[in-house]
Amino acid sequence: MPAMFPASGVEELVRTGASCRVAVDVNPGFKSGDAVRAVNINPVTHTRLPLYVRGKRGVVVEDRGVFVFPDTNAQLKGEKPQHVYSVMFAAEELWGHGSGRKDKCYLDLWEDYMVPAKE
Amino acid sequence: MNGIHDLGGRHGMGPINIEPIEPVFHAEWERRIFGMFILAFAGGHFNIDQFRHGVEQMAPAEYLSSDYYEHWLHALELCCKANGSLTDDEIQSRMKELARGDA
Repeated sequence: MPAMFPASGVEELVRTGASCRVAVDVNPGFKSGDAVRAVNINPVTHTRLPLYVRGKRGVVVEDRGVFVFPDTNAQLKGEKPQHVYSVMFAAEELWGHGSGRKDKCYLDLWEDYMVPAKE
Repeated sequence: MNGIHDLGGRHGMGPINIEPIEPVFHAEWERRIFGMFILAFAGGHFNIDQFRHGVEQMAPAEYLSSDYYEHWLHALELCCKANGSLTDDEIQSRMKELARGDA
């Protein structure tokens, strides 16, 4: 089972929520401006990669820092800390023709959810 | 998991009912489930991602027709049963006690 949480920290836990940010030094694999593609995975286990973005192209706009990877953590297979990025997807990329031409959708994605996009 | 929880882009779900003055809890039972979650989480019974996966494993029809904190209760029971700290028999016997009015 996961480690016990110190009783002294419970008040802060209630007030701020359980952040999965970790103070671990990990080299980022992407930077702002990089063209990326969300991977197409369909695990029967936990993932926080939404169906509608799988296989779609986007652009990294910000590095959010290092966080625990939910997919492995949910199975107690390790925290696998990695960078999370804000990635911008054009509405037309996600929803096709007829969606707002100027609309964008921003998703916070873990590094393992992305690969470099080939032209 | 490609479950019912992943609703992004689905049509026909109706409007989002935003309450102008939203209370922290709508009922006492919601407050109690929040407290149970905090205690079990702080006690190391599960991590937050195991808990989220617990919600995802609800039967789709039940997920869509139940409240937010009912989702939490489902995950709480599932995670605590999975780690052996709670049994179905214990849940059933406690429900019978409550039905008899034994607080």
